[in-house]
Amino acid sequence: MIRARNLTLDIGSRRLLEDVSFQIERASFTAVLGPNGVGKTTLLRTIAGLRVADHGTLLVDEAPLRELDARLRARRIAFVAADEEPSDGLSVREVVATARYAFHRWWEWYETQEDCTAIDDALAIVAMNGYADRRFATLSSGERQRVWLALALAQEAPILLLDEPTSHLDVRVAHQILDLLRSLARAGKTIVCALHDLNDAAAYADRLLLLGCGRLLADDTPEHVLAGSWLEAAYGIGMETVRTPSGQTFVFPRLRAPR
Amino acid sequence: MGLLVGGTWVPPGALLYALLHPHAHGVVAIILWQLRLPRVAVAALVGAALAIAGALLQGLLRNPLVDPYLTGTSAGAAAAIALAVALGLAAPLYPAIGFVAGLATAFLVAALARRGSGLDANRLILAGISISALFSALVALVLARTHTADEAEAILAWLAGSMAGRGWHDLAMALPYTIVGTALAFAAAPAMNALRIGELRAHAVGVNVARTQWVVLAAASLLTASAVALAGIIGFLGLIVPHLARRVVGADVRTVVVASALLGVALCTLADAVSRTIVAPSELPIGVLLAFVGVPTFLVLYLRSKERRT
Repeated sequence: MIRARNLTLDIGSRRLLEDVSFQIERASFTAVLGPNGVGKTTLLRTIAGLRVADHGTLLVDEAPLRELDARLRARRIAFVAADEEPSDGLSVREVVATARYAFHRWWEWYETQEDCTAIDDALAIVAMNGYADRRFATLSSGERQRVWLALALAQEAPILLLDEPTSHLDVRVAHQILDLLRSLARAGKTIVCALHDLNDAAAYADRLLLLGCGRLLADDTPEHVLAGSWLEAAYGIGMETVRTPSGQTFVFPRLRAPR
Repeated sequence: MGLLVGGTWVPPGALLYALLHPHAHGVVAIILWQLRLPRVAVAALVGAALAIAGALLQGLLRNPLVDPYLTGTSAGAAAAIALAVALGLAAPLYPAIGFVAGLATAFLVAALARRGSGLDANRLILAGISISALFSALVALVLARTHTADEAEAILAWLAGSMAGRGWHDLAMALPYTIVGTALAFAAAPAMNALRIGELRAHAVGVNVARTQWVVLAAASLLTASAVALAGIIGFLGLIVPHLARRVVGADVRTVVVASALLGVALCTLADAVSRTIVAPSELPIGVLLAFVGVPTFLVLYLRSKERRT
């Protein structure tokens, strides 16, 4: 379980997050929403321990995050960043094997049976086990995203944070990734994922955290967040919400001058 | 090979006998134990130190064009030694002066490249190039103002790189720092391996990125300063050897560090042996030899591998 209390974070003279509090339950899929530059990535990096909040506390299973050293933290929380390319020449397996860093001391250079199993299993889960020897640089965007997901899975951390894992992906691959994340949540992982597509978030997440103007505007189920006026407050445009007979909720920006 | 060649021809059997009997007397024993063996050991140490330092900095900055002198170590040492020559200080002091000045320059560059608790790669490159340019200008100024040909020759000999006249005493001075630098390199290698996927992602898998950057910079600076103190400026070796090592053992930083050390030893001792004999009885500066032979070889290898990729 992740519990944040009164998180406040400044970047330079700009206050990015102010007084943000929430609680994320185990084995759930939470989507973080909000307009560009609102602080979704910063919030995820703060939960991942890659940034330190100026004020407030972050507890992971009731233990303060800042008291965990880097290796211990990596065994509890995995983070899939939005960009950053690996060095040229690395194979898919070499990229995923990096996940096992936290399981070794500096003089333990060999790969254990547990490492091999974790790497192979992670590649199999994301359906990339046939690509282990391929050079990472030769992969498509969708395949790369799967490899980054495999890297996080090979960390065997119960909490998985993802920063916009479906950006630049076509609709089929994006839904395959989100479907996989949901099944991982059902299998016991705690998934927290920054997303831009409101409808993807509504379709796959159990809970939405909506950020706007540096604050947490809403923290509720997709039905409640999408039905209220929070989206308009966050994005600054009018929104139409449509509910299909099958029970799915869709949100669209309201056109100023309909065709 | 380094033991076999030199100004005086000594039969291999006599050399082997002297090698197996360290307390034996005679000319061959003196040639081996006082001249050739310390020189080969110095060449091996310099080769390993520069190659490991190059592998570390190329890995840290994720830039294959980086060489160990990027941190200003050589320029700082060169400026200090040029000043020492101009001030008339005794020649045996030069290695120590070069070592201290090289290390101090690396600290200055690191301080300029500091960002938060870690290092900024771009700032490190920029600071290294700027400080090196400043100290190179200082060397040029000292050279222009030297009063005797001997002074200019002493500075130029040092700038061209040479292991002439180095003995056990010099080796003993540099060895502890080389050992510490190598130990730090091995300690940082697994984290460096993780850094290949990017700083942020490496941080997420448990790497203390800032600490790794400082450890790697300290290791590279100690190794480079030791090499510069022993042999002056030997360019190119720290740039090319990590490339050759990667071609042989792949991209794993841990094996690249080991392979670079071994290849550095082999290449530097070979180059030193050739530099001692190719224009005997005088010597060709090893830095010049490496540049003349190594650069074309490296370019051919590079272009061939590029052709294969396209």
